[in-house]
Amino acid sequence: MKVRALRLAGGLLVVLFGLWAGLRVYQSHTPKRAAPLAPLAGVRVPAGEASPPTPSDFDAPFDLGVGTAVAPGETASLRIPEHLPEFSLGGRTGKPTSITTWRGKSLIINFWATWCAPCRHEIPLLQSIRREWLDRNLEVVGIAVDYRDKVVAYADELKISYPLLIGEDDALDVARAFGVDSPAFPFTVFTDQRGEVVALYVGELHKIQVDLILSVVQSLNQNRMQLPEARHTIAEGLRSMRTEQPS
Amino acid sequence: MFPYGGTAPRTPNCDKVDLMKLLLRTAGLAAAALTFTALILPGSAGAKPWWKRGVESNEGDFLDPDVAFRAASRVDGNMLRVRWVIADGYYLYRHRMEVKAESPDLVLGEPSFPKGTMKTDPYLGTQEIFTQQVEAAVPYTRSDAGAHPIQIKVTYQGCAEAGLCYPPISKVIFATSGSALPTPLAKSHPWEGVAILGGGFAFLLAGFLLRKDRHLDTPAA
Repeated sequence: MKVRALRLAGGLLVVLFGLWAGLRVYQSHTPKRAAPLAPLAGVRVPAGEASPPTPSDFDAPFDLGVGTAVAPGETASLRIPEHLPEFSLGGRTGKPTSITTWRGKSLIINFWATWCAPCRHEIPLLQSIRREWLDRNLEVVGIAVDYRDKVVAYADELKISYPLLIGEDDALDVARAFGVDSPAFPFTVFTDQRGEVVALYVGELHKIQVDLILSVVQSLNQNRMQLPEARHTIAEGLRSMRTEQPS
Repeated sequence: MFPYGGTAPRTPNCDKVDLMKLLLRTAGLAAAALTFTALILPGSAGAKPWWKRGVESNEGDFLDPDVAFRAASRVDGNMLRVRWVIADGYYLYRHRMEVKAESPDLVLGEPSFPKGTMKTDPYLGTQEIFTQQVEAAVPYTRSDAGAHPIQIKVTYQGCAEAGLCYPPISKVIFATSGSALPTPLAKSHPWEGVAILGGGFAFLLAGFLLRKDRHLDTPAA
């Protein structure tokens, strides 16, 4: 009986080792395996799959760490801060303005650039959201990562009514403070009145998403929900919206 | 008592039961091993319950820009061919695509692109874009042929149809020579050897350890 138990334990250990080694390879190797190079015409690269690597990718002297192939969902997670980081950027006139100016308000902090079409699409929505929520202690702050003259001209053209902070490298530093190291635009951060970061949304916002997030922020502000539950509700809500949307 | 003083003779039914037992035992072990592995591996399903997680974002909805857009170049006679492969659901703006010489002895002419698709945006107007794949032909001359590898700098900017735009990307790449681009070999992974050896070893040893303690019944002469 004792020998039998020993054999079983030994067998179990060995099977575990095999499974562990196999899983390590599966996790670390599969997404990065080089695919055959595409022919010169008619290549379709489905969304969610890495494009075929090219000889230049392997020969180039620059840092390949930037270009390592990763499929969606396998990107390194953003290190999103729990609390609103403190920072200052120049406003429309160039005068440095701190984000603490709006302390005590729920914030929608929208990172954008004038060359970005989806960023431009969002602006009317943000304007209307601000009007709708102004009496509920909410402010929209736009952070333009762009040249000041272009931003000011565009803001004047569109009559953007919410506060704008503008910067180039300094605005990229602010994006990094939110855990976004190599930003793509737009992305939007939602905080509650206590300055807790509740959600970070990457890509163009639509009303249905803003309504969901702001209703949860409102519940937080009224102490009807705890922060972890609020974040989970938003994450699940956005996930279900994505699955309902036709691709 | 049975003849020859042995145990009861084995019947086909008896063999089936033993086989079932062995299969069930192995399945149980495998399930336990998988659960255990899932719990101990970092980043696996059992990493953190939702109430302990921080802010989650939808960043995984979009590709890394270096996956969405890939650039490569090769020498084709007196032309450089620069190719961009674009993931499905993504596009590059024609007016934001540039090719510049990086090698000191390299002089590039004007790149010629095929006709792209016209995209009309209510806020940005009508612009020419490329989807899927595009190849530009760039005439070149070299004053000191062979002294340096051909190095060019490509700049491009694109977006995802789902509503995300990437900042302009600049990359310095080498132009490979030859009429066909070679297929890169998949690099072997250090864990691959461990997995193959571990798997084989596990299979053999598990079979050895889990085998039944019986000798084959030899047929009576």
